[in-house]
Amino acid sequence: MGTPRVLIIIPCYNEQGAISALLNEIKACQQDYETIVVDDGSSDTTYQIAHELSPIIKLLRNLGIGGAVQTGIKYAQNNDFDFCVQIDGDGQHPPCEVSKLLLAYREMPNSIIIGSRYLTHDTFRSTWARRVGSQTIAGALNRLFTHSKITDPTSGMRLMDRKAIELFAKHYPHDFPEPISLAWALKEGLSVSEVPVQMRPRVHGDSSIIGLKQLAYMLRVLGYILLSRLKRTKLNDV
Amino acid sequence: MHINHSSTYLFIAIFAVIYTLIIARKTARQQLDIYDLAMLSMVVIIPAIFVSFPQVAYWLSRLTGVEFPFVVMFGMLIAILFIIIHRLTVKIHRLESNCRLLVQELSLLKQVIDEGVKKSTSKK
Repeated sequence: MGTPRVLIIIPCYNEQGAISALLNEIKACQQDYETIVVDDGSSDTTYQIAHELSPIIKLLRNLGIGGAVQTGIKYAQNNDFDFCVQIDGDGQHPPCEVSKLLLAYREMPNSIIIGSRYLTHDTFRSTWARRVGSQTIAGALNRLFTHSKITDPTSGMRLMDRKAIELFAKHYPHDFPEPISLAWALKEGLSVSEVPVQMRPRVHGDSSIIGLKQLAYMLRVLGYILLSRLKRTKLNDV
Repeated sequence: MHINHSSTYLFIAIFAVIYTLIIARKTARQQLDIYDLAMLSMVVIIPAIFVSFPQVAYWLSRLTGVEFPFVVMFGMLIAILFIIIHRLTVKIHRLESNCRLLVQELSLLKQVIDEGVKKSTSKK
């Protein structure tokens, strides 16, 4: 087997302040990663800026994070990539950390490898409320699915191999995609592991999940995870 | 006070005919499907049955243990509406999924075309 082809999927919405620095940072990693920016119907100049630096898919309508990431996964499948790695377009995920995910895959080839904020204490760890929410969701995943030892189910930095690409190109949640897609993958028998990575606080823009929305987010995700446990598998349909 | 029941029947009959004509016309123009026609017709058919056959209304009332027959009638209409809403919700969700899929496929296709144009322009 030759050098695996790695695609970095960057979903973004109105990230004109961060996208250029992020794409330049990926180039500076000198790892031969290919990139695809998925512009989720931005109203600012994200498309114009990113178009100069990377292949880009401009979604004709805003589909939300789930729809944007799935478009990137479909691109990876159509272009026969071995791995795709999702990172946020706001610069929270240092792209050179992707190598840690690939290294972890070489050591233990799990279909999904999550870049976790909570395996070590030396990185940006978000607010207290979010950590509690994330740990509650992780607890639900770990209890409902055997062989699951997840600490950071809401991390937007993760590597997917061909098997995960094949599954998610067909079935990917549109709402709250990170934790729910993990539940779906575990239900289908895909293996998931984590590796500690460094993350940064958001440089530009604000999170859309604030205040009471965080509680609503957690409850809805828990509901979806529980339902995922009960539904039939879909891998045979792929 | 004397209530003229025949005027009530007439009012319901006029409403039933007009409403049936409206939804039949919409179905003929394919703005509704035959299932919608059947379900929406219940808004007319159920009150018509209750008015035309009061013994059915009283029988249903006894059967369900509801004191007033008109409450049974409204209960049945609400149940029909619930079924319609349920079906519409499923339909909207399916349309939303199809729409999302279409946007993704169109956007991917556009990306391939744009890349092709970009490459051919740079060659020239």
